[in-house]
Amino acid sequence: MNNFSFRRLGLLLRRDASAGYKSVFIAMAAVGGFVLLVSVVSALGRELGPIHGPMYFPLLFLGGYIVTSLTFKELHLNGHGVFYLALPGSALEKFLSKLLVTSLVYAFGSLFFYTAVSAAAEGINRLVFGYGHPFFNPFTRTTLIAIAGYIVTQAVFLVGSIYFRKLAFIKTNLYLWLFGIAVAVIVALITWAIFHDYAVGSRIDLDPYFQRIGESGELQAVLSPMAEKFLQAAKGLFWGVMAPVCWIISYLRLRETEV
Amino acid sequence: MTETGIQIENLSFGYTKERLFDGLNLTLYGGNIYGLLGKNGAGKTSLLKIICGLRFPDAGRCRVLGWEPKHRPAALLEDIYFLPEEFHTPAISGEMYRRIYGPFYPRFDDEMLQEYLEEFDLPAGKKLSELSYGQKKKFLLAFGLATRCRLVLLDEPTNGLDIPSKSQFRKLLARAGEEDRIILISTHQVRDMENLIDPIIILEEGTIIFQQPMYEVSRRLRVAMESTEPSGDGVLYAEKTLGGYVVVRRNSGEEETQLDLETLFNTVIGNRSLIGELFEHPQAQPAAHPAAREGAVERTGEEK
Repeated sequence: MNNFSFRRLGLLLRRDASAGYKSVFIAMAAVGGFVLLVSVVSALGRELGPIHGPMYFPLLFLGGYIVTSLTFKELHLNGHGVFYLALPGSALEKFLSKLLVTSLVYAFGSLFFYTAVSAAAEGINRLVFGYGHPFFNPFTRTTLIAIAGYIVTQAVFLVGSIYFRKLAFIKTNLYLWLFGIAVAVIVALITWAIFHDYAVGSRIDLDPYFQRIGESGELQAVLSPMAEKFLQAAKGLFWGVMAPVCWIISYLRLRETEV
Repeated sequence: MTETGIQIENLSFGYTKERLFDGLNLTLYGGNIYGLLGKNGAGKTSLLKIICGLRFPDAGRCRVLGWEPKHRPAALLEDIYFLPEEFHTPAISGEMYRRIYGPFYPRFDDEMLQEYLEEFDLPAGKKLSELSYGQKKKFLLAFGLATRCRLVLLDEPTNGLDIPSKSQFRKLLARAGEEDRIILISTHQVRDMENLIDPIIILEEGTIIFQQPMYEVSRRLRVAMESTEPSGDGVLYAEKTLGGYVVVRRNSGEEETQLDLETLFNTVIGNRSLIGELFEHPQAQPAAHPAAREGAVERTGEEK
């Protein structure tokens, strides 16, 4: 089956770029202005600590999640959805074009843009005041891990974008909260089932339990490997499973969408 | 795949538990401009959407140009152009639109588009979003025909077009017919499609109740203008107009006359079984239309 072609993927990417470049320029102007303002004002107040790392991460995460939530908006609008789905391109190509734009292109685009804007702001500070904040270094381990973390977590918002017709960003957040609450409830129930003997009223007092296994010298031996395994499994799920599962769900949903 | 045409067999589809189509059968061949007629809610738009893969059938088989449209394969979408009644045009100029969307269609013809745009007298350089509804539609029609897709689906294409544009549209479409191309037009504006669409397909209550070329219609049905109220056997449809009565009868070998689409539609809708019988077994003498037999006639809107 002629299900994938780089030519069509390129055409879809070009189409997305042409449709969204104005919004991107407006957003860039707004962010650039804000960075410049904060940089100059804090330099005036002689607050010269590193400000660019803390300012870049909200742009990456919050901005990226919002952009991702809007990416399939056209699918849910009257007339637009028909136009988009009837456009020559397989579901895989359409999905990949949206994924690329909202993950890699956004992450590295925003990194490049922020590096340039912050460098310009600090250049101005040094020219005007003779001093400034430390320059933003895009190559730190923290930044690269943050970008990887963004690419993994934005996949959840991609699912939200394709599922929710309206207010995808808010609804995805709401569902994440609900998911968090559900997990907390399940953990609480499991804890109750295992440790109900240690319940004191509505609270579970595990001190006697820890004292007992501690006294026998087993605390370290029992808890450490378990915690380690749990952590490894959670990391594996986060870095290796979560995003691909979300991508598959999004792709299947796109393939099955009717308008 | 080089398979041509559309084959629909036993197709079932519905938005709710109530079926819109239940066992629908339809075969369309290249080289025709089909007219799809039906009352509101008959399922014309849904059928177009199923054909281009925007809606999925619940059961049955639908093959379009050799592909199953529900999978929306790119190779099929490259060969289908669908202009819905409610459409979207991005806020870019026509030239930009051509540059961005033209390459999606492998056989896209720039010169053809230019020619059609000139014919439609569309302002150059203006953003599509700034054009009127009719101008947008003309642009998309011109673009659609220039894609040289083998299947062109048009949903109410003349809605919103002014009088000269309707005539231009007819001329343009008549020229756009190609040997292996299917143009399927769903419309209520039957007068705009006169002498253009052929064969005629009539969809009623989820079934194709009529699918005939116009030469068969002329061969089997005869229309006459009569000054007195028609009565007696053989009257299939009668309608009072300003100058008398338009009467449709079975053509028993007399001179062929040309039925206008509106009269044909009303005749078919009002005599579903009789018309079915007549076109299936042309030698059978159909019984008279009960309404006509009783002297009951429809009145045109002008008289009301």
